[in-house]
Amino acid sequence: MVVSAPPPRLLHLDGSLKPRLEALLAAGHAAGADLVEVFLERTDHIGVLAEQDGITSVSPAFGTGAGLRVFRGLRDGFVSTNDLSEAGLMAALEQALGMLGLELTATAASGFDGLPALRDHGSSKADWLEHCPELVEATGRLLEGTRRLEQLGRHLQVRRGSYARDWQEVLVAASDGTFARDVRLHQSLGLSVLAADGEHRSSIGRRYGSSGRPDQLRQWDVDASAREVCESAGTMLYADYVEAGQMPAVLANRFGGVIFHEACGHLLETTQLERGTTPFADKVGEPIAHPAVTAIDEGLSDGAFGSLSMDDEGMEPQRTVLIENGVLRRFLSDRAGELRTGHARTGSGRRQSHNFAAASRMRNTFIAAGPHSPEELIASVDKGLYCKSMGGGSVGPTGQFNFSVEEGYLIENGQLSKPVKGATLIGEAKEVMPRISMCANDLELAAGFCGSVSGSINVTVGQPHIKVDAITVGGR
Amino acid sequence: MTATTASANTPTTTGTTPAAGLEAPALRDALEQLARRHGIGQWDLGASCSTDTSVQVDRGEPKQMKGAQRSAVTVRVWNDAGLVGVTSTSDLSPAGLETALVGAHAASAFGNADDTPAFSPLSTAPLPELEQPLRPSRPILQLLDTLQDAERELLERHGAIGTVPYNGLAQRRSERLYLNSAGACRHQRLSTASLYLFARAEETGRKPRSAGAVRLAYGVDELDVAGCIAEAAERTISHLDYGPIDTGRYTCVFTPEAFLDLIGAFSSLFNARAVLDGVSLSGRNAIGQPLAVPFLSLHDNGLHPGNIGAPAFDGEGTPTHRLSLVEGGVLRHFLHSEATARAFGVEPTGHAGMGAKVSVSPEWFEVGPTPGSDGGQQGLDHRSPGQSDGAGLVVIDSLSALHAGVKASQGSFSLPFDGWLVRGGEARSIEAATVAGDIRQVLNAIIGFEGEAEITPDGLCPHVWVEELSITGDA
Repeated sequence: MVVSAPPPRLLHLDGSLKPRLEALLAAGHAAGADLVEVFLERTDHIGVLAEQDGITSVSPAFGTGAGLRVFRGLRDGFVSTNDLSEAGLMAALEQALGMLGLELTATAASGFDGLPALRDHGSSKADWLEHCPELVEATGRLLEGTRRLEQLGRHLQVRRGSYARDWQEVLVAASDGTFARDVRLHQSLGLSVLAADGEHRSSIGRRYGSSGRPDQLRQWDVDASAREVCESAGTMLYADYVEAGQMPAVLANRFGGVIFHEACGHLLETTQLERGTTPFADKVGEPIAHPAVTAIDEGLSDGAFGSLSMDDEGMEPQRTVLIENGVLRRFLSDRAGELRTGHARTGSGRRQSHNFAAASRMRNTFIAAGPHSPEELIASVDKGLYCKSMGGGSVGPTGQFNFSVEEGYLIENGQLSKPVKGATLIGEAKEVMPRISMCANDLELAAGFCGSVSGSINVTVGQPHIKVDAITVGGR
Repeated sequence: MTATTASANTPTTTGTTPAAGLEAPALRDALEQLARRHGIGQWDLGASCSTDTSVQVDRGEPKQMKGAQRSAVTVRVWNDAGLVGVTSTSDLSPAGLETALVGAHAASAFGNADDTPAFSPLSTAPLPELEQPLRPSRPILQLLDTLQDAERELLERHGAIGTVPYNGLAQRRSERLYLNSAGACRHQRLSTASLYLFARAEETGRKPRSAGAVRLAYGVDELDVAGCIAEAAERTISHLDYGPIDTGRYTCVFTPEAFLDLIGAFSSLFNARAVLDGVSLSGRNAIGQPLAVPFLSLHDNGLHPGNIGAPAFDGEGTPTHRLSLVEGGVLRHFLHSEATARAFGVEPTGHAGMGAKVSVSPEWFEVGPTPGSDGGQQGLDHRSPGQSDGAGLVVIDSLSALHAGVKASQGSFSLPFDGWLVRGGEARSIEAATVAGDIRQVLNAIIGFEGEAEITPDGLCPHVWVEELSITGDA
């Protein structure tokens, strides 16, 4: 048995759609649009949840849809629909045109020259879905994980393993000559526990994600994951609450990169420029961070959760140096961002699904490795906080960010001491970026999900160990 | 009355069209035929479809105008062994339905024998009468005009308000449907509209500040646009004069929105699914045990007229109704699905989702004093000079980052917030701070309530005074 029923071939997202799409694009152009873009997708999802020693949920889902976007001047209208019939798509186009005061016309001349041959990034990925693990194998791996948790952990009240496989086929056609197809495969899996002993409780989870690796679940090192989760849960079970205040902090690599993602990355999206909510609007070429900081966003790393063969506007992704030695170099830009802010597109137009218009979003975003060892960073702190594992975070409209610390330790006299819990780090990008004074040499990436204007998307965050000279730690 | 219930006596048609809405008889007929073809004896289905239009503006110019036609179906199938499988799809065509049905049947091989959902015994019970007028959709360019006017008016309220970076005016027509092979048929149609305005203000040499307001209604014409503008302006302006706060312990006054956000984040306390899964702070025997101060009352009441767009039934077809969760500080009931209710030997409460493992969630809270109790300390007024002496009061206006800063299974929270430090009756905005604590501590440290309960998008609640909460300032 395969993981789920194969995606229904109700629609072939390939070059055979060219005449239909050209007719749609020509109709939009003839109505007076500067640019018309059609995004088509098919999706096939499966989610599996193991709790304790049983499978408690298997959730398949599949779907199709389209998003049509029409630009005129700096304005745009966007309509999404599940109705992919010719009439349904034309109705969506008509609605999008109407948002800009345009109407479909019988005029044949459109000024649209037709689409080129399809750029097919998906042709080599046709067998990805069938190479994913079958459901029997997937459930077996998860149960192996929850069993290993039971063997390794103490005081575990809840043991969970989860797996999600998202297959997506997309086709983008636009009246500027974009005509591209891709197939994406994202898988994520994780283990989590709730440990309880009297009034003491700790909840710890780890999640791993990949793109384009049908074998990920088979390659998963269950033992290492279970061991890491159990060790962390055991350590944090009896941890005291952190004492609040301003202090230096050393943030571990991998998911520690959420600090840059929240504190700065979002503010370097042209989406934020358009809103007027970034303090870095006029800072290109100027220092905005400590000279120790070089930050990059790219969509190219093999297998990384945020990697793409093309973005959701049909553009191939780039390696974008955002900050070089503390100096702001580039913003992440999409089609609308380029149109409205002048920042050239970077292959960063992303969306959760056809229900969202693409927006400039991060892909794999990380602070580059520095010259120090992690031990040097910790040794440089007399009294502070070591953040070994992060929870989630967010950034607000004034640039104030926050994120939670899942596993923390006090640093006293340059050494790690007791574990502490309940810490939240808060600050403002403009203030904290110059305080990242040391970067270690152990860059690692971690998978995550990012929710913003164009929905929830797969991203990678990352960094080496970094030291922040002073940051506000909320606690008790 | 826009929600209906019916028997299984339906004509046969070949499907339904998302653009035209959900056709319950056609869907039932299609499902029955497909189920017979595949030898499936027991099934149920939840479906929804909607048409949405929305606009956003940026300093007088349209920023984004959106339209959407969405449809979704979730099918559950019980196999011969009584195990349940589920599949969801956005494809309501006969081929899509068949694929979903077959997929659900295949998935049922992995159903959980220890926790199998069944049809709700209340899935054919009478539905509540809801006053939910269906309002006509307005042209999107009319929405645009309304929002542009609202933005302009908000920008004119104060020279420091430079942008309204987060704004939107949206309207929706939607339908929900629940069918099962035992004859249940639930159908609800709704129209709703929403407006949100979040302004950003900045004075020279000072940090930018932001605040906003939200309004909901059954149609665009009924939205309280003027009230939304006034509230957004007032809140934003009130944060312009800010200062740091010393880290320490303070008596805090939660606004209705903030307190409801906190209760919502810890709703696993009342959630039978979470109790059975072992991730709730409440145990199976917690009903009847004290949870809060003896004058606190908490209900879930999806039927309150203030709950715009209230569902008449849940994902299993169980009617929505008012449920007492805490009365006199004592935990009275849990929120239930069919399966959790069966495990506890009670009736479902109308809070279920739909799935192989059915989720349970609250709908709309009512918070206030328990009738007949002393209601806690009387005459509370944070604006009164005599009540904010010494270190002062911290008014928590809105909480942020609940997804990251709440550990529901541990009871702890550490959350950034916007608010004011009130001393001698004078309020000054707090530059940046977090509030931290334990939800059980909060529920037992409530001093009393201030003012009348206010209707918010998440529930009904007065201002709530809580003593001795830990505040960390950015000083």
